[in-house]
Amino acid sequence: MNKAKIAKVILNILIVIASLACLAMLFEMLGSFKYANREVEDPVETGMGVFEYDLKHRAYGEIVGSWYVDRMSSMEAPAGLEPTYRVAEYAHTAFMSRVYEETGDESAAASCAERRENLRNSLGDYGYAADEVDEMILNSP
Amino acid sequence: MITCRSCGAQFDPALVRCPYCGTAYAPAEQGEYMGQLEDIRVDLENYGMEVDIGGRREQVPVNPNPQTMEQFDAAYTDTKRRVIGSALKTGGLAKRAAILMVLIIASVIMSVISSANYADPDPEADIRRDAALHAAEYAAEAEGYLERGEYTEYVSFLYAHELMNFPPSNFDHLKGVTYVASEYYECIRYMEEIVLRSDDPDYFDGLDTDIGIFVRAVDGFYEVYEVWRESEKYADYFACMDEMKAELEAAMRVYFAMDEDELQAFLAASEAQKAVRLEEVLRHE
Repeated sequence: MNKAKIAKVILNILIVIASLACLAMLFEMLGSFKYANREVEDPVETGMGVFEYDLKHRAYGEIVGSWYVDRMSSMEAPAGLEPTYRVAEYAHTAFMSRVYEETGDESAAASCAERRENLRNSLGDYGYAADEVDEMILNSP
Repeated sequence: MITCRSCGAQFDPALVRCPYCGTAYAPAEQGEYMGQLEDIRVDLENYGMEVDIGGRREQVPVNPNPQTMEQFDAAYTDTKRRVIGSALKTGGLAKRAAILMVLIIASVIMSVISSANYADPDPEADIRRDAALHAAEYAAEAEGYLERGEYTEYVSFLYAHELMNFPPSNFDHLKGVTYVASEYYECIRYMEEIVLRSDDPDYFDGLDTDIGIFVRAVDGFYEVYEVWRESEKYADYFACMDEMKAELEAAMRVYFAMDEDELQAFLAASEAQKAVRLEEVLRHE
């Protein structure tokens, strides 16, 4: 077999391999377009849906837990999710109020009370949540 | 006539070998070899091409140094024949190479497009870059949280700016208090989850899990507190560490209905005993 024929055979093999790779990349590319155009769930809709569900069941612990997790990413509430941050922060300040009263830290307790009042006034339609949280805090354990 | 140096017989000096014993006669042999070379040279010189000269076909010798138009024409035709012959031998190679290149280029392009479509932005990289750029400013802000006694906010701030896992050197002096605050943060978080858990029987009751996590967090807090509270390097923040401990103990007294003795007994108990004790208190058993 002369050199030209050997080169042709090698090239034919390489063409087959490259064709398979090309086909695989074609499927990969089509998949990537599908991925890029996938429907992404609206974080506000999801977040508020979960929040409303937790409120309905008075699961303020879950609301506070989510707030702790979310605050690891952003100290400020994402647009549209402000009520979740406000209710959770109210619950946190209500919790800490009793702690400061117990430790006798009057300045912290006063600051906490002021913050609670501001948050309560900003809750709007969720004002009832503040009452429920206060009741749970005062009646614990 | 010459005499054979092997058998002594007389023979014609034009002969290459002795006709009696076959011994080679070197001068004649050399002459014959040179004659063959000359024949080859003449053959090469006379090797020609059949070309059309004035309407008739003629065999024209190919001269390596053509002088006439016929010789030039013959040399050109010969070269053309050789080139085409060579091209025919390697015919298809270039085509195959071109196909291969097209396939490779197409694969690379599709790979790049796929990568671009799959790539998700990495917001944490931007946050880390921002933290590195504003490290001094953020360190001052973090110290502000500590001064105000806002320890959970302090930890959230560090996490939100990727300063908990990748703190720049500006945060070296806060290392001890950060570890303690991180454990305090976990304790307070799970206490809040426990205290504010849903009382709706239709809602998932994760109390057992939360108690388990809280109990481990409390043990973790005391371990970390004892280690860093002894490190004089972080003495500036001992007051913060003590305040966190006092707040945690106050929270346990208030929300788990414990007096000081019960609290000390609770803290001395094993994880399992702590969990059982909390179950009893929180489920009113």
